[in-house]
Amino acid sequence: MASITIEIDGNIVNAKAGERLITITDREGISVPRFCYHKKLSVSTSCRMCLVDIEGVPKPQTACSTPVSDGMKIHTQNEKAKASQKAVMEFLLINHPLDCPICDQGGECELQDVAVEYGSDVSRFSEGKRVVAPSDIGPLIQTDMTRCIHCTRCVRFGSEIAGIMEMGGTGRGEDLKIEPFLAEGITSELSGNMIDVCPVGALTSKPFRYELRSWQMASADSVARHDLVGSNLYAQTYKGLVKRVVSGDNELVNETWISDRDRFSYEGLAHENRLLLPQIKVEGQWKEVEWNVALDFAIKGLNKNALNSRKAHKLGGLASSTATTEEFYLMQKMLREIGCENIDYRLNVNNLDDPIHLDSNIKLSDLECVDNVLVIGANLRLEQPMINLRLRKAQLAGATVSALNVKAFDYNHKTNHSTVSPNEIATILAGALKVILEKNSLEAPSYITNINPSELSINLAGKLLNSERSVIVLGEHVINNTQAASIAQMVAQIAKQVNGKTLNVTSSANTLGAQYAHFLPKSKGMNTNEMLTADMSAFLLLDIYPEYDFHHSNSAVEALSKDDVFVVSLNSFNNELVAQYSDVLLPMAAMYETSGSHVNINHDMQSFAAAVKAPEEAKPAWKILKVFADLLELQGFHYENITQVSEELRHQKIYKHKQDIAIELGKKSPAIETIWMHSAYHSDALLRHAKSLSSSKIGQTNSASMNTATAKELSLECGNTYLGVPVVVSDSVADRCVFVSSNQSTDMGRE
Amino acid sequence: MIISDNTKKQIDSWIEKYPQGKQSSAVMEALKLVQAENDNQLTSEAIQAVADYLDMPGIAAAEVATFYENYNHKPVGKHIIRFCHNISCMLNGADDLITHLETKLGVKTGEVTKDGLISVKKVECLGACVGAPMFQIDDQYYEHLTADKIDDIVDGLK
Ligand code: SF4
Ligand code: FES
Ligand code: FES
Repeated sequence: MASITIEIDGNIVNAKAGERLITITDREGISVPRFCYHKKLSVSTSCRMCLVDIEGVPKPQTACSTPVSDGMKIHTQNEKAKASQKAVMEFLLINHPLDCPICDQGGECELQDVAVEYGSDVSRFSEGKRVVAPSDIGPLIQTDMTRCIHCTRCVRFGSEIAGIMEMGGTGRGEDLKIEPFLAEGITSELSGNMIDVCPVGALTSKPFRYELRSWQMASADSVARHDLVGSNLYAQTYKGLVKRVVSGDNELVNETWISDRDRFSYEGLAHENRLLLPQIKVEGQWKEVEWNVALDFAIKGLNKNALNSRKAHKLGGLASSTATTEEFYLMQKMLREIGCENIDYRLNVNNLDDPIHLDSNIKLSDLECVDNVLVIGANLRLEQPMINLRLRKAQLAGATVSALNVKAFDYNHKTNHSTVSPNEIATILAGALKVILEKNSLEAPSYITNINPSELSINLAGKLLNSERSVIVLGEHVINNTQAASIAQMVAQIAKQVNGKTLNVTSSANTLGAQYAHFLPKSKGMNTNEMLTADMSAFLLLDIYPEYDFHHSNSAVEALSKDDVFVVSLNSFNNELVAQYSDVLLPMAAMYETSGSHVNINHDMQSFAAAVKAPEEAKPAWKILKVFADLLELQGFHYENITQVSEELRHQKIYKHKQDIAIELGKKSPAIETIWMHSAYHSDALLRHAKSLSSSKIGQTNSASMNTATAKELSLECGNTYLGVPVVVSDSVADRCVFVSSNQSTDMGRE
Repeated sequence: MIISDNTKKQIDSWIEKYPQGKQSSAVMEALKLVQAENDNQLTSEAIQAVADYLDMPGIAAAEVATFYENYNHKPVGKHIIRFCHNISCMLNGADDLITHLETKLGVKTGEVTKDGLISVKKVECLGACVGAPMFQIDDQYYEHLTADKIDDIVDGLK
């Protein structure tokens, strides 16, 4: 676009021809009032608040939709502009209720702010005002539609960003109502952003209803830790409690959106199951004690069971992948210092002998520029909402998206779904690799020489070969595929052959942080599954809930519950099972209560400070670990603050296991294949305790989907249960496969 | 909610008139056709069925279906009187005439007479301002209305 100069309020301003006026005034810091315009949404020009005067144009023009041209002279403040803006304001206020004193938006309401400047103090409108009955659209968003000014931001957010148009304008004129169709409510995994975009108090946070005024709260920069994105957000706090979470801006990470799971998980912090006081188990009875007593007890137990008797190899250290990088680092440093190499965060992997190795080598912001996407084993919308949002942009811009999934999941963009059984994936990829290697005139390795590429393989290979910027996304459903490691290697090879990128989302939360912190067994140590079957004498656990976290949940509980095994649990929540196998319970700070960092898929180590203090006696785990190390009289733990820990670990290189394994294409297994996933709102402890999320549609998901033939083979029908989960018969599932998405614990028979 | 094959065929002929991928442009005609074969009424299920057929969000079809007065969302009578109450008709006494009609039939606008014969709706300008006040019964316009004229016309409805 050609550079031009225009004049705004008498000042010369540089611009590009055709740019919209409002982007220029925003850039220059010139204030133009607006309601319907939003920088990330299409321009609807429906509120008329942004009227400005342009010389030579008889009528005032809307700044949000007017493209500029060279020499344009614009007045945003002259009498004509002001008068037009005031007139529009008067119209907008005609039907707006005067309920600011009881409106949750009060104090952060765009209408209120603009009205202060442009509104009149007396209303000339004496007729009746419009009243709209509120509709219940779910547990996350509160509606007060009488306040709606019909800006349609929420409608456009749904259709343009979230990818499912759920809100719409029904009726006409004075009867126009913004509402969802049918009584189903709002189901999008990104729905909370509508609260942020709504300029008035029509859509507000339901869990936050009638809690506080925005000015009463302090706002702390923070980072979400439920996925590999690490969305930037603000935790708003009052008297030591997180009261609300709103999205932050970071173009490289989450733009300006956050997922519902990041927005509403804070509710779990106040759950009644929080572990608040240190406790020790004496002769089978739990006793609440002072910190020093609990720590002494823990040290003595560890000494007796593992350390003094030179049995450090019988000690195991396991941590949840939601831990901070600093927690991972300190815990492994301490364990290694005392001679324990049994360290792992990979709890939900069946086969840790050949785990998946695949680097992610594409930045989040580049995802929207790819021209071909292959998704393998992921329900991206729910599992990785922010990544899906970027890929959806790419699709809308013309990229082709193909998916190899056990079920044709409801993606919100155009996808060529191939529903395949998990045990076909390796062969399909091998076929595609063969086609690609042939095309590149390279010799095929022995394991694929006998493969006869299927039509699907040829098709996928064709797309990959014909695209310049492909990305292959490897998803969580592959993690327990019997050929997971081979699949990952073939993905890497294919990507290399076609100059494409790879995105590994097989694990979530801060798993990259764990790798930077070397929270993994190196050559001498045992991995999780080995620890569960070995003859162990003690465990140090960081925020672990075996009934949900482990793939082998039953053997985990068994291993931890053995009489002669001493278990020290640092936990943020307590429950019967944790109390049953633990010997010491040390209450730890949860998300927002601790400082540290999270490594996202861009390999950015994003630091955050605690927004609130942990409740009662709970302490940040990094401090607990440091004191632990001091009590064990270990050297090298003289940290005065978390920054020193972060500095120390910042120099670490990511730890990688040996990469190459011999690819083997296993035989098709005769058994019915089951993929078990937690519902998107049950994937970590904080989420599982967040009440509004749990009661939302996604949180309620508890189903074992299978097709008619499979159901028949298993003699099941709708209303029955499979592994304790209600059966749903759907022909979108691959033959002889079951896809379980459950909000229940996994001890219901997954093993 | 199932759309009959015949209606589908008719909808398809409308879809053909638009560029490929723009099938949702046929939504108005599709709603009209589906309404016609469903007691002259569009239930939420019917709107969703149209939306599904045209591969568009249900709410987007509902926006159209609730915008125009020619779609009915409640049971209607055999005949529908669409009384214009926009500016020209209003200035020419439409409001009083609507009240007259309501009293005569013993129903409010939006309702159906007990015998199921007539329903009354208030609608926006029907483009016949020159003959204001006016109403439309089914496909027929009646202009320059007076109370007497209304009585005659309505009494003649069977
Ligand atoms: S609910 Fe809010 S965002 Fe949606 S149209 Fe109304 S004012 Fe705009
Ligand atoms: S902001 Fe320009 S018309 Fe609404
Ligand atoms: S105003 Fe009644 S027909 Fe135009």
